[in-house]
Amino acid sequence: MARKMLADGELSQTSEEESQYDFDLFVIGAGSGGVRAARFSANYGAKVGICELPFHPISSEVIGGVGGTCVIRGCVPKKILVYGATFGGEIEDARNYGWEVNEQLDFNWKKLLQKKTNEINRLNEIYKRLLSNAGVKLLEGEGKIVGPNGVEVTQLDGTKLSYSAKHILIATGSRAHRLPIPGQELAITSDEALSLDELPKRAVVFGGGYIAVEFASIWKGLGATVDLFYRKELPLRGFDDEMRAVVAKNLEGRGINLHPQTNLIELIKTDCGIKVVTDHGDELIADAVLFATGRLPNSKRLNLEAVGVELDKTGAVKVDEYSRTNIPSIWAVGDVTNRMNLTPVALMEGTCFSKTVFGGEPSKPDYSNIPCAVFSIPPLSVVGLSEEQAIEQANGDVLIFTSTFNPMKNTISGRQERTIMKLVVDAETDKVVGASMCGPDAPEIMQGIAVALQCGATKAQFDSTVGIHPSAAEEFVTMRTVSRRVTACGKPKSNPE
Amino acid sequence: MATTFTAPKLSSPTFQTLCRNLPVFTPVPNTLSSFSRHRHHYRLQLQQQRRSLFVVRAESENGSEPLRHYDFDLFTIGAGSGGVRASRFAANFGASVAVCELPFSTISSETTGGVGGTCVLRGCVPKKLMVYASRYSHEFDESNGFGWKYDTEPKHDWSTLMANKNAELHRLTGIYKNILGNAGVTLIEGRGKIVDPHTVDVDGKLYTARHILISVGGRPFIPDIPGSEYAIDSDAALDLPSKPEKVAIVGGGYIALEFAGIFKGLQSEVHVFIRQKKVLRGFDEEIRDFVGEQMSLRGIKFHIEESPQAIVKSADGSLSLKTNKGTIEGFSHIMFATGRRPNTKNLGLESVGVKMNKNGAIEVDEYSRTTVPSIWAVGDVTDRINLTPVALMEGGALAKTLFQNEPTKPDYRAVPSAVFSQPPIGQVGLTEEQAIKEYGDIDVYTANFRPLKATLSGLPDRVFMKLIVCAKTNKVLGLHMCGDDSAEITQGFAVAIKAGLTKADFDATVGIHPTSAEEFVTMRTPARKIRQGPESEGKTGQEAKAAAGEFHLRLMLIVNLQYDAKVAGWWKESFQDSFSFISESGLCAMPCHASCSNFLHMSSKKVKIIWIIFSCIL
Repeated sequence: MARKMLADGELSQTSEEESQYDFDLFVIGAGSGGVRAARFSANYGAKVGICELPFHPISSEVIGGVGGTCVIRGCVPKKILVYGATFGGEIEDARNYGWEVNEQLDFNWKKLLQKKTNEINRLNEIYKRLLSNAGVKLLEGEGKIVGPNGVEVTQLDGTKLSYSAKHILIATGSRAHRLPIPGQELAITSDEALSLDELPKRAVVFGGGYIAVEFASIWKGLGATVDLFYRKELPLRGFDDEMRAVVAKNLEGRGINLHPQTNLIELIKTDCGIKVVTDHGDELIADAVLFATGRLPNSKRLNLEAVGVELDKTGAVKVDEYSRTNIPSIWAVGDVTNRMNLTPVALMEGTCFSKTVFGGEPSKPDYSNIPCAVFSIPPLSVVGLSEEQAIEQANGDVLIFTSTFNPMKNTISGRQERTIMKLVVDAETDKVVGASMCGPDAPEIMQGIAVALQCGATKAQFDSTVGIHPSAAEEFVTMRTVSRRVTACGKPKSNPE
Repeated sequence: MATTFTAPKLSSPTFQTLCRNLPVFTPVPNTLSSFSRHRHHYRLQLQQQRRSLFVVRAESENGSEPLRHYDFDLFTIGAGSGGVRASRFAANFGASVAVCELPFSTISSETTGGVGGTCVLRGCVPKKLMVYASRYSHEFDESNGFGWKYDTEPKHDWSTLMANKNAELHRLTGIYKNILGNAGVTLIEGRGKIVDPHTVDVDGKLYTARHILISVGGRPFIPDIPGSEYAIDSDAALDLPSKPEKVAIVGGGYIALEFAGIFKGLQSEVHVFIRQKKVLRGFDEEIRDFVGEQMSLRGIKFHIEESPQAIVKSADGSLSLKTNKGTIEGFSHIMFATGRRPNTKNLGLESVGVKMNKNGAIEVDEYSRTTVPSIWAVGDVTDRINLTPVALMEGGALAKTLFQNEPTKPDYRAVPSAVFSQPPIGQVGLTEEQAIKEYGDIDVYTANFRPLKATLSGLPDRVFMKLIVCAKTNKVLGLHMCGDDSAEITQGFAVAIKAGLTKADFDATVGIHPTSAEEFVTMRTPARKIRQGPESEGKTGQEAKAAAGEFHLRLMLIVNLQYDAKVAGWWKESFQDSFSFISESGLCAMPCHASCSNFLHMSSKKVKIIWIIFSCIL
């Protein structure tokens, strides 16, 4: 096969040079970013090897699995549990629509868990097949870097295999991290939370990020008592403040006990459960305590120091705009670089890497207007700037359009939960620079809005779009009256944090 | 109530041309308190007698400003979506406005209606509420796969739903009345009839107006066949006193499909009779096939190419439907969803010379003006695109044209719409067939996958998505989807398509993971490229595959599986893996890479052959 080899977009010199290496590309880690880069590079004609730890739903230094966090311990199993938990609220809502459903509902956690595991196993196989169909050689074992062009894979039985590669890609992702407080070993992380043998009756979640609110929603929807502790005044730091407040209100409305500005300081094992002690001196007993207190890049055991790959202080691999580390033959994509830790972003980085290195088309990932979703119940989805960011970055005035309404479904179900939507518009250019929504179907609705934003759609273009009636999404094209105008010199609203 | 406002400035030349023949308005404070009404009314009649003189003078002087008093700047007949919007906006722009509407009833007739109109009282809103109600039965089924169990199967109580639905409709009609009141619009209950170009008669009282707006909407139409008096229309179907046990729905349009889904979900036996081979004429062909298939899988029985000829009522009260193919008995209800007709009878239109087309729809120009310069019409009564948001757009545009000195044409390009069937459909822009006709060379991207929810629920639900791209300009010409959340998903893309964005713009957008919608921004390989001219590659599955180039044909099956449960079962078992494989491409991290399946339905009289072509990038 005639192979085009490119580095930095330049043709490499001779075919003899190629043959020096076992692989054109060796990828460590077969998650979203790694699999994408491996497959696409192979499609460009490169000879690609990839290594991954043995499959296990709970990750550690020595276990992982093809598919990575997203498929095995993240987006997919999480979404499955969110679906399962959403039915809890749906069944309540059905009653006012005339459905006679037993008061006592039976929910079988083991069944859901089993079906989830089956699905994950199936996906794991599919990913393996995707790799082999693309002609990528998959090795099971732990990968280490032994030189700028050298990789060593330690297999399950302890035997070590050494390979040389023209390019090495680090795509080892990240792992949940526990806060070092007394009794922290009693807590679980999101990995375990997705695979618990029993559904906890009393659950404590510590953290204010998206993982925390998602698990709080899941457990509550499945019938547990849930207490959510976080350090700030509102959950979801970094998101639009108005949206954060709505999420907090909705979580509370769904029956989750919120404990803002509260830290956990100790966990103690007792006969009747785990005793949780807060910095306010309160105590409560829980069956499960989830630490959703951040994730750290998996960069420790890669032997990066040996070749001098630079890390930042959180342990993330430092890369340039093309995902290249300070060692020219070593590259990194995905969560291990801690840029924007989302599956579709890792995919984009993996694709750009392949294009740059093997496609003859140097490509930088574009981090502007990346939409994302929080699968709380109801969900939140955003794209572009929050109100606070827009005000900070604006040269001129910023126009804020909001719509808060009772979704039609609730008019009969009686559920007291309002949907909120927001458009942030640059007054001078009329460009919509940010959109956000908290309410049912928000992530599905936001995707199309993201296309419009990506291409600089103006508020006038939103207004000229006819609505789809009756939908929630039509509110985005029928926001006629500006809710507030923030002047360029005006101080941003005080941050509730 | 006194209304004062400043007269609109007549600076725009277009506007001046537009109202050349109109007597120019002079604002007069308008008093319509109940006390003065009678006297006022008397005065109106006097004025009316003088009116013709004014008109003649206005025309002869052509441009001078004769004094002319009207009770209102705008009189709107019909307080539905279009009428309320036009009236409110006109009032906001400073005009004095009255609107008349028939008394409230859930069933419309010559004498009943209600503020809010079809959308709020007999259309979108109650329909969607019923869709919500009926969807739960599918959700209960789904929830079983997610570990939820019900000791006894959930049962539906019809009367609870009807009571709650009607309470909501009353609330909404009240809200609409408030909206009108708050905008300063005078609401008059009664039947409006046009007496002359500037006068409306409401149950014997006369009102004069500088402009008259007709926004009386449409009503369901039942063809005249023997026994048609036993049939119900969509008005009645939304307000049945008890659950229909076995219902026949005649028609293949969106209303028929929506009600089929509603009744099926609320546990009725549902039969749909369509004249043609497929449902939803005018929609994208692949969507038509797909939705028919999905609805059949949910237990709706379709009778294709079967037209009703008569309805017979048996002694036990049940109904039989006689068609060109035979007679089916035992229906508790027979619903006709066979189209709607504009409400233009007895409006006095003929006498003032407002022209109508052969369906009875009022003919209007691009500014919604009828053949009589002072009379305008918006919404379903004009039979342009019969959708609430379009009526709103027309009403809004009219208010701007008349009272804000800003002549505005409604823009009918890329109007998105949804069918709330189960699963629902969303669409915007052109169908594949229209795109080929208009642009010739197009690329078609499709995805047909099993959504994540269905892999757990074990139900045969699938999602179909389609993008149609102009080969020359790369512009996205059309977007179609059938599957959960289609309506919500389509709205944002409608903004993008209206803004004229290209496929490259779609590709440059990062997905939201894991959603169904992300599939629209991760479609990398066209399912087929259609080219006109000598090297035409046509549009059959075979040729399309060749055109796609990179596709490797893996497996081709020709199976006869319609209504043959055994074969279908075997087929599903044998190829579930392949199917899931395709589906997973949809929802896991590698969307779309292996998704290419074409379903070509070839119907003969009794046997339906489905070609399934699996192709995969290797």
